[in-house]
Amino acid sequence: MFNDLDPLLHSQLRLAVMSLLISVESAEFTFLKEKTKSTAGNLSVQLDKLSEAGYIQIVKSFRGKKPLTTCSITKKGIKAFEDYVNNLKQYINK
Amino acid sequence: MKEPENLSAQQSLSIITSMIDQAKGNVQRNSFYFLLWGWVVALANLGMFALSMLDYQRPYIVWVITIPAWIYTIYRSIKQNADKSASTHFDRISASLWMCYAICIFTVVAFGYKINFQIGPIILIMSAVPTFVSGIILRFKPLMIGGILFWVFGIISFLVPNEMQSLAGAVAILCGYLVPGYILKNKHED
Repeated sequence: MFNDLDPLLHSQLRLAVMSLLISVESAEFTFLKEKTKSTAGNLSVQLDKLSEAGYIQIVKSFRGKKPLTTCSITKKGIKAFEDYVNNLKQYINK
Repeated sequence: MKEPENLSAQQSLSIITSMIDQAKGNVQRNSFYFLLWGWVVALANLGMFALSMLDYQRPYIVWVITIPAWIYTIYRSIKQNADKSASTHFDRISASLWMCYAICIFTVVAFGYKINFQIGPIILIMSAVPTFVSGIILRFKPLMIGGILFWVFGIISFLVPNEMQSLAGAVAILCGYLVPGYILKNKHED
């Protein structure tokens, strides 16, 4: 049914992450984890998939001695998200 | 969050809207700075009014109480910026807005001697801008009204005699910062 919906975005957690990132400038891993109510392992896997596709940018740094992962959406990611939403509209309008 | 095989269009849509809502609620609703600056500036204005009533030669000396407030504001905003887990576009717009305002205030104060120290009304009118726009960003009407009142008191302050200017300033800060600041604080604690 949803053939033309981007399979990378058509997944609950990845879509949730992209929706959060489209609304903020950047977000930390802990913020995404809390808002999506996901597990660290699953979230980490899904973030890697989005990053490999070039939809998001992941920056790893340190805050004091703690590792810090910060994510932000890329231009490619914004385009993909917009296309996804536009395709979704067609399904809903049918 | 589990990953179901089939996500319906409705489900997709509800994920998108609920996540966008979550992020939207993350705009910093900070009443602290309004309260700090509200009290500091109100006291400075009232102090200046009292000293000028007593015929003190340099009533503006009371404004030195703003120096520790500046230092604490800079320290706290740097620390807060480092501690937050997501930054929204609105947070950034807000921060730049208040920073521009602070720079303009410094400039007006520094060159005050060029305009015979008639800076009270100018500062009030300038304060209208970030206060009103912050009201729009936070979708918070008391701040929008506060911004408009800064502008109104700016006009009043141009019209009244010199020594009354600081009194107008104190009333303006009460309406523009303190009242919205306390409403924001109570709303946030609910």
